Amino acid sequence: MTRTVAAALMSTFVVSISVHAQWPTGPPAGVVKTPASAERAPAPRTKDGKPDLSGVWQPERNRPCPPDGCRDLQTGEQFFDIAWGVKGGLPYQPWAADLVKKRISQNGTSDPNARCLPTGIVRYHTFPLLKKIVQVPGLLVILNERDSLYRQIMMDGRQPLPREVELPSPMGYSTGKWDGDTLVVESTGFTDDLWLDQHGSPLTSGGRIVERFRRVSFAKLEIEITVDDPKAYTAPWSTKLNQFLVPDTELLDYVCLENEKDVQHFH
Amino acid sequence: MSKRLVWLSATSVTVWLAGAAPLRAHHSAAAIYDEGKTVTVQGMVTKIEWTNPHVFIHVDAKETTGQVVSWSFEGASPIGLYRDGVHKDSLKVGDTVTVVGVPARSVEHLAEIRTITFADGRKVFDRAGKP
Repeated sequence: MTRTVAAALMSTFVVSISVHAQWPTGPPAGVVKTPASAERAPAPRTKDGKPDLSGVWQPERNRPCPPDGCRDLQTGEQFFDIAWGVKGGLPYQPWAADLVKKRISQNGTSDPNARCLPTGIVRYHTFPLLKKIVQVPGLLVILNERDSLYRQIMMDGRQPLPREVELPSPMGYSTGKWDGDTLVVESTGFTDDLWLDQHGSPLTSGGRIVERFRRVSFAKLEIEITVDDPKAYTAPWSTKLNQFLVPDTELLDYVCLENEKDVQHFH
Repeated sequence: MSKRLVWLSATSVTVWLAGAAPLRAHHSAAAIYDEGKTVTVQGMVTKIEWTNPHVFIHVDAKETTGQVVSWSFEGASPIGLYRDGVHKDSLKVGDTVTVVGVPARSVEHLAEIRTITFADGRKVFDRAGKP
C-alpha cells in the first residue's frame, strides 16, 4: 500500500534539481518532493509490518533567523532550550538550576559542544545537522554528520542496562522494542554532566532516557523523550522533538575539530 | 544554486521574534563577538579556509595611514553554506571585496561575516532572508 502511494506520488510530481560539483546534491530525477503530498502520505513499513523509520532526517528548525540572516545553520528552539514547550519549565534540583543560570551568564563557554566533544543523544536530535536512520531486523542505527558519529539501538530482545555502568559513554546504551507503531527506546549508561541544550541543562550519570519514535507520516518523525534523572531533576519530564525527512541529499561530514579556532577567543 | 528540499509542515514555520539571540550551532556567538557593533573592511582576499566548524576568509586591507592590516572573518559551516548555495569557489584569493562583519570583543581584526560584496556589487555570504 505504502509503496503504491509512493509510486503514485513519484509519477505525479517531478522537481528538477540543479547540481553542483559534488555527489550528494539530489536524488535521481523524478523523485517526488511536495510537502503537502509527503505530509499526507503514510509512513512506509518494513516486511514485518512495522513502521520503517529509515531516511535522512533534520530536526525542526523553528527558531527564526535575525533579519540579516542566521549566523550559521538555522536551529530549533529546543537546541537552545530543551524546556521550550515544557509547561512550567524543567523541574531542576536547586544545584542544577543554579548551574544552568551560571552557564547562560557565561554564554555557554564551557559547553562540550563548543569544544567539539560528543554531546549525547538528546542534543543529537536537536543539533541542526542531518542524521540518517538505518533500520534492519534487530537493530536500528543512527548515523550523524557531526563527527561521523554512530548510535546503535539494539532491538534483538536484550534487556536495558542499569543506570550506571562500568563503561559509560555520551551516547549511553540503548535498547528498543515496538509498542504498536511506536518504537520505545530506553537508554542508560551516560557519562556524567552531559548538556541537554545550549543553556546547559544537565544529564548526570544516573540519568535514564526513554524515547518514543513515531513516524506520523512519510515526511515527519516525532520523538517524545522522557528524562528521568533524580540527581538533577525532582521529577521525570517529557518533551517532543519533531524531525522532518530530507529526501534530496545525503550525509556530509562535519569534523568539528578540523579547524576549531573559537575556544581560544572565548571570554 | 544548489538547493535542498525539506518537508516541513506549515505549523513548523514561525515568524521572526524580536530580540532573539544570535544563532550559532557550534557555540554562542556572544562568547566571541560584540553584536552591538559592525565593521566594514575593503581589501583583497589573501587566504580561504573552507573548513569545519566554520570557514575563515582572510583579507588584507589598507588603512588610511597606508598600513596594511590582515583581517580574519569567520563564517558559517561549510555544510550550511553548501546547502545554501555558497561554495568554496564562490570567491577566490585575489578578489577585491568589501566585508561587513561583527567584530570580536577581545581580539583585534577578527570579525563574524555578515556580507561579502565584490567590486561589481555582487554579494556572497549574504544570508539575509535565508534560512
